[in-house]
Amino acid sequence: MASSSNTATYNTPCAACKFLRRKCVPDCIFAPYFPPEEPHKFANVHKIFGASNITKLLNDILPHQREDAVNSLAYEAEARVRDPVYGCVGAISFLQMQVERLQEELDAANADLIQYASSCNHRYPHQNMSSALPIQSTTTTQYTSQQAPRQIRPNNNAYYPTPSTFSFPWNDNNASGRGGAAGE
Amino acid sequence: MTLKGGTSQACAACKYQRRKCTSECLLAPYFPPDQPKRFRNAHRLFGVRNISKILEELDPSQKADAMRSIISQADIRDRFPVHGCLGVIRHYDYQIRQLQEELQAVHAQLALYRQQEMSAMPPYDPSQLQLQLGMPRPVDGHALFNQEDSDPQQYNSVNALPIASHPSYNSFCGNVTADYIDSKDNNLVNSFWIQQSCSNGNNSNDQIQMMGSQTDQLIGSQSMQQDVIQDYEFFDVINDRQSFIDLKENHESSSESSLIDTTQTLENIAENELKNAAACLTLTSVN
Repeated sequence: MASSSNTATYNTPCAACKFLRRKCVPDCIFAPYFPPEEPHKFANVHKIFGASNITKLLNDILPHQREDAVNSLAYEAEARVRDPVYGCVGAISFLQMQVERLQEELDAANADLIQYASSCNHRYPHQNMSSALPIQSTTTTQYTSQQAPRQIRPNNNAYYPTPSTFSFPWNDNNASGRGGAAGE
Repeated sequence: MTLKGGTSQACAACKYQRRKCTSECLLAPYFPPDQPKRFRNAHRLFGVRNISKILEELDPSQKADAMRSIISQADIRDRFPVHGCLGVIRHYDYQIRQLQEELQAVHAQLALYRQQEMSAMPPYDPSQLQLQLGMPRPVDGHALFNQEDSDPQQYNSVNALPIASHPSYNSFCGNVTADYIDSKDNNLVNSFWIQQSCSNGNNSNDQIQMMGSQTDQLIGSQSMQQDVIQDYEFFDVINDRQSFIDLKENHESSSESSLIDTTQTLENIAENELKNAAACLTLTSVN
């Protein structure tokens, strides 16, 4: 009795092992990321991706990256459950269009600013209107014209191309190579 | 692997699984044999059985789009094993914020100069000034007055500005949508999950449905907000962001100083005109 009560308080099975109805071992790979208080998290992930695939994915990346990976997988699984057709790719397409629209608006506003500045310079040539020039931002140049994945959008005639121009600042490739265990 | 007696090649899915690719293969249209990596990515992330389960629940008209999104999602996960699509979404969200800030700054600058011109330039009519001084308007015109009189609309320049009526300006002012208001309030999760107008048949056409409230319970909007904030530390663009802020501050300070200069210059112009008028009066009275 004492041992069973000690067992009950010592090792609460994680949501994954609860769902899979198996014993939750101390070194369970799911336990840190699927707490028993969030059963829906693993349920969605298991439904869309499968536990074995998740295990392989987690084994292929470094331990300190697994939490981010699980959170992103949980997000994608939830998105796919809600929208079985587009999943989270629909959101990407929407945001991509928003970026393009904002960029067009910004270009138009800058053009207006240049036009206004030039007209003011014509009227008041002795006045310094250099501050009327559009703000030259390097940020959007870096991420829109060069690196924006403009190919991802619903297209009835083609598959979604991959964002080949992506270059995220974080080093997502710290993960170990395929088939190799992460440096645990 | 080729079919016996057939000329068609097995699809990448059947090749990978080393099975016979029949004409009824569901995956064959989406995984051509010359692109094995595409199927490997999809198989690694979803698995054949899960892909089949997803497709079974959909209408035939939706299967193509669903497969495209699955392939895209798998390719993104292959490229970004840790963050996957969520990283792409955060990247775009950050980009949208940057663009919004820039757009607001530009519009603020335009509004500032428009207001400056409206307030600093009272309507001026040299002929009225001469009438007040009791002088008839010279026929041949004094050289100085001719210059000021050449463009009576010169000082009514507000209407000449293309800014106020520019469609982009109006569209920006009119389209401060809930998306960006929410993003300003860091309620990002609400804007992430959008159903396309022709997506899964549950929505009517031309309707974009925001899945907001339920998403808060998923990963937790708080954690998402913190994750987004923490991601800023990962982005190298934090340096670009700071440089943008510095650049904006420099422009604002220079704009303020130019505003002061402009005001003083306009005052000098008005004073010179009065002096010229007085000089003309003096010369006329002498003659």
